[in-house]
Amino acid sequence: MHRLSTTRRGFLRTSATAAGAAAAAPYVITSKALGDATTPPASDRIVMGGIGIGNMGSGDQGAFLSRPDVQYVAVCDVRKSWREKGKNKADEKYGNKDCAAYVDFRELLGRSDIDAVHIATPDHWHAPMTIAACQAGKDVYLQKPETLTLREGPLMVAAARRYGRVVSGGSQRVLDDYRGIVDPCWSGELGTLTSLDIAVGGPSMPCYLAAEPTPPDIDWDLWLGPAPWQPYNKGRCAGNYGTGGGSWRSYIDYSGGSLTDWGAHHFGGAIFAADLRELQPKGVAYHPATADGKTAAYVTLTYPNGVELHHNRPAALQTAPVSIEHKGGAIKIVADGQPRAGKPVPRYRTPDGSGKTNIYGDFIECVKQRARPFRDIELAINTMTAPHLLGIAYRLQRSLEWDRATQRFVGDEEANRLVDRTRREPWIL
Amino acid sequence: MAYDSASLDAPFAALAAFDWGQDAAPLEAIDDAVNATHGDANGRSDLEKRLVTILEAGPKRAAKEYACRKLSMIGTATAVPALATLLYDAESSHMARFALERIAAPEATAALRTALGMLAGGPRVGIMDSLAARGDEESLATIAGLLAADELTAVAAAKALGAFRSPAAADALAAAAPAAVGQVAAAIADARFECAEELLRQNKRTEAAAIYAAIAAATAGKPESRLIELAATRGLVACADALAAT
Repeated sequence: MHRLSTTRRGFLRTSATAAGAAAAAPYVITSKALGDATTPPASDRIVMGGIGIGNMGSGDQGAFLSRPDVQYVAVCDVRKSWREKGKNKADEKYGNKDCAAYVDFRELLGRSDIDAVHIATPDHWHAPMTIAACQAGKDVYLQKPETLTLREGPLMVAAARRYGRVVSGGSQRVLDDYRGIVDPCWSGELGTLTSLDIAVGGPSMPCYLAAEPTPPDIDWDLWLGPAPWQPYNKGRCAGNYGTGGGSWRSYIDYSGGSLTDWGAHHFGGAIFAADLRELQPKGVAYHPATADGKTAAYVTLTYPNGVELHHNRPAALQTAPVSIEHKGGAIKIVADGQPRAGKPVPRYRTPDGSGKTNIYGDFIECVKQRARPFRDIELAINTMTAPHLLGIAYRLQRSLEWDRATQRFVGDEEANRLVDRTRREPWIL
Repeated sequence: MAYDSASLDAPFAALAAFDWGQDAAPLEAIDDAVNATHGDANGRSDLEKRLVTILEAGPKRAAKEYACRKLSMIGTATAVPALATLLYDAESSHMARFALERIAAPEATAALRTALGMLAGGPRVGIMDSLAARGDEESLATIAGLLAADELTAVAAAKALGAFRSPAAADALAAAAPAAVGQVAAAIADARFECAEELLRQNKRTEAAAIYAAIAAATAGKPESRLIELAATRGLVACADALAAT
């Protein structure tokens, strides 16, 4: 049997038969193709491309480029400067000019040689691109927040499962930064958790920035994609990490604001520590600001197991003794103090079973083993349901009830109008 | 606080002249009124009529967009005529759908259905998506007829039928599948998978398995369709698992 058909690549490849692969084998095998002591042969490397090579995307690209078991062959970005920078980075790594550079992600996804992609575009593109990637037979490493609306999550999970794709969410912080609260919670030493307090910024805002001339190096229509058309303004599409204006993370058409941006990390860490990743909240209680203005509005989510998750609850109302808190106080956890049996903390997947890698290594290993990653898309969207529900409650300024089975709000037609948003053609899901 | 229409005169005057880059602070009163009139039918009705008046006056795009966003939250049949007109304007079609798609009234469905028969290209793609989001079975046959159109239209038609997830949609997709190639074939297969998954959710394993088996048979041995063949096989396994679980 030909070597390729017995390797991971032979199993992953969905279009090439073993005979076809044998016929396509080169007459001259380069030393790089054969691999060496530290580099797997080409046939065992995961061939990757990146879509969205801005601030975060560049970091993700660097992480995958640094891996000897990845062959990075293509970048895609609607901005010429990011595209060229990404290409140059890959070319420099490999000492050639081979990295392709695309404007339109569909061209990258159309390449049969690419096994997996990493996506780090603004949030409004996450669902359409992830679904398209799954439909094209690619595994996906997707930056957080994985979704912009509640409806997108189930569609992404369905696409991943339908086509047998490995889809990892991208909060690299959940298992790393929050370890200080995760281990004590999972060990059972704190007892049963009863409530979480999370402090993170609020939802995004409308964008009314003035029209500016569109620079020639950005495909503005493609940047907007499914989002409503608005004129180019550098502040509308800037990729800085601010959420107070002047960046796409600030604005409702492209992002859920700090609530979902940093929220993906904090909610991710808290929900993981509390072992709630398999669940979605049910109750959404809106607490209005006090008439004297001294206490801001806040929202409490209640999970089916009774655990309460408070967003920005005023300190004066946090009366129960805190069992443990994340450094800086962004996450405070209250437990009953009755020690119970613990559970082993889920790990990243590694060949040796040690779990000693990062979220990028976890993704690559899962691609090889065809396993579900640490932040599997289904767990990611369960987590993201929390900040999305909060955002809708803040917008409507009232309490709600979420039905996970139907993915609808109970008895609130207006809230259900916010479960999704109409996408600009042709970028329908 | 009781709804006070007169207090919104200045904000609506600002909205009528609004454009991107202007001070949006006056519009906040309208935003607040949308929330404040929850449960207040009279207040909501007044608010809606004022937003419709804005649309009918033909303001700048930014103002139209704002009005459409608010009507997506509070719109009723009252807003449909003004929104329907915008469906035929390439600049406004998307935001008109942004509102119409969310208005429960049958008049909204009727407006979208009319537009389906009159538009083409990108705007028609959007109309199909909105009708599918509303589950309008009456437009299913028209959408199915577009499975043989140009690639952009046919792919959108397939996606829309997949969103219906109904037996009629499944039948239409199955009928179109043999003649489809490339992206259209892939979209039709994906839509058929949607239908099969819905049947499986309803415990109609035999019907679901029939879809998966048909797709698997049609793609067997075709390298270019290996992904779809594997998905169909995965579906058959899911049907068997579901049967074993009973």
